[in-house]
Amino acid sequence: MVPTDPHLFRLPADGEDRPRLLGSYAPESGLHFWPRRKRCPVSRTPVRDVELGPAGTLYAWTFLHVPRMGKVSFGDTGGYAVGQVDLPEGVRVQAPLMGSQQDWSIGDQMALTLFPVGTDDDGHELVTFRFEVLR
Amino acid sequence: MTSRMGRRVFVVGVGMHPFGNQGIPATDMGYVAGVSALDDAGVDFPEVGALYNGYIGGGITAGVHVAKDLGLTGLPVTHVENASATGSSAFGEAVHAVAGGRVDVAMALGFDDMNRMGGLGRSGRRGLGAEDVMLPAAFFAMWATRRMHEVGTSVETFAAIAAKNWNHARENPMAQRRADHEVTVEEVLASTMISYPHTSKMACAAGGGAAAAIVASEDVARRLGGPMIEVVASQQRSETYTDGHVFLGAVIGPAQMTRDTAADAYEQAGLGPRDLDLVQVHDAFPIEELVYYELLGICGDGEGDKLVVTGETSLGGRIPFSTDGGLTARGHPGGPTGLAQIHETVVQLRRAAGQRQVEGARTGLCHMAGAGSVCVVHILQRT
Repeated sequence: MVPTDPHLFRLPADGEDRPRLLGSYAPESGLHFWPRRKRCPVSRTPVRDVELGPAGTLYAWTFLHVPRMGKVSFGDTGGYAVGQVDLPEGVRVQAPLMGSQQDWSIGDQMALTLFPVGTDDDGHELVTFRFEVLR
Repeated sequence: MTSRMGRRVFVVGVGMHPFGNQGIPATDMGYVAGVSALDDAGVDFPEVGALYNGYIGGGITAGVHVAKDLGLTGLPVTHVENASATGSSAFGEAVHAVAGGRVDVAMALGFDDMNRMGGLGRSGRRGLGAEDVMLPAAFFAMWATRRMHEVGTSVETFAAIAAKNWNHARENPMAQRRADHEVTVEEVLASTMISYPHTSKMACAAGGGAAAAIVASEDVARRLGGPMIEVVASQQRSETYTDGHVFLGAVIGPAQMTRDTAADAYEQAGLGPRDLDLVQVHDAFPIEELVYYELLGICGDGEGDKLVVTGETSLGGRIPFSTDGGLTARGHPGGPTGLAQIHETVVQLRRAAGQRQVEGARTGLCHMAGAGSVCVVHILQRT
C-alpha cells in the first residue's frame, strides 16, 4: 500500500487504526500548521515536524456532482463529498469525505481513514486519505 | 501595506472582444480588444509606453506575440498572471507605471480561453492526489454551507443573486450568457447540481474572450478629451493568517483578504462604501457576491441576504452589483475578466451603458479574487 501524497499523510503504524497528517508546530507562536511549513508564516521562527489527527469537527461540507474544471472522473460513483474539518490543534483540513450528504451535519465528529484510488506503476495499491463521520 | 500613487491616473480607453465559446484563438481576440481600446482612447500604439498582458493559458510569450500584431514599437511588454485576478493585476501594473512616472500611457490587455487551460499547480501523483479533488466549485460551496449554518441563508437567496446577474447580462452585448427571457429563481434552482448548494446556472460561465484598458497621466487624458475617469485607488493583497487558516485546497485566501484590500482602497481614495454607485466583484458563485456585500462594507455582517430580498444590488437598486452580468453571466475567461470589470465601470461612469445604465453613476469599485491568494480592488471615479 502506497500513499498518494507521502508529504501530506502517513499510513497507520502498527497498533493504529487510522492514518495521521504530517504537520508543523511553531513553539514561538504556539501555532500548528498543515501541510508542513518551512518556517512559521506568522512569526517567521523555526517549526518542528508533528503528526496531527486523526479526529476533528466538521466545519463545512459540500457534495460535488460534476467535476467542473477538475481532472478526476467520477465514473459511476455519482460524485463525492468534500469537507473542512477542524482538528483540536487549531488546524482546519480540507479533504474528501466518505459517504453521501445525508451522513453528516456541521459539528459532527470526523476521523481520518484511507481510500483506494488505483495502483502505481509497480502494481502497489495507491491510497489517499478521507474523513468519515464517527458514530 | 497600502500602495501609493505618485501622480493621478485616468482611464482613457477601453475595449473588449465578446466573451463566449466562439472557437477563436485567444490572441486574436486580444488583438481585437487592444485595437478597440486604442480606438476608444484616440491613441496610436506608438504612444503606449508599456504593455501589461494578462493571460493564464496563453503559453510562453503569448503577450509579446500580440504586441507584435499591434506594432513593433519596441515598448516593454510584461506578462502578468494572477489566476482569476490576472486582468486586474495587469491593470494595476499599468496604473502604477503611469502613477510612478515610468510612462505617460500604459495598456493592460487580457485574453484567455478558460476551456483550454490546464489545472492549478498540484503536487499529487497522476491527478489522484489530495489537491486534485479540491475544485473551486467545492471550495466556494463550503463557504455556502457554512453560511447557511451560521446565518440561515437559503438556497433561494443564492439563486436570486445568480438570476439577477443573468438578467443584467441580457442587456450586455459582450456577455457570454444572454438569456432570451427573464431568468427566474426557479429556473436557476432547476439547473444541474454542480456542488451543493450551487447549480450550473449559479456557476460562472467559462469561455473565451479579451478585454483591454488604456491608462494615462492627467496631461494626456485632458489632451484626449472626454469624461475624466480617474483611478482613485489601486490595491492588491495576498493573505494574512486567520483562525482556521486553510493552506491546502484553499482556492483563494481567507475572506478577510477582501475586507483588508477594500479598506486599503477606501483609505487611498478617501472614500467609503456609501460613496459607491456600482460594484463589480468576483462572483464565480453567488455565495461570493453575498459575502462581498459585507466584506466591502456595503452592509453589516450577516445582513447581505436582506440586500438581495429588497433588490438593492440589482440594476435600479441602491447599489447595483455585477451590472454587466458578472462572472456568472458576462463570463470568466480568466485573464480578461478583471479588465471586463474595468470596461463596464468606465462605460457606466461615461453614462454610456444603455439599458443597464446606473443613473448618475460617478464612483465604481472593481474587486477580483484570484486562486492561490490574490485580491485586487480598484476604485474609479468620474472627476
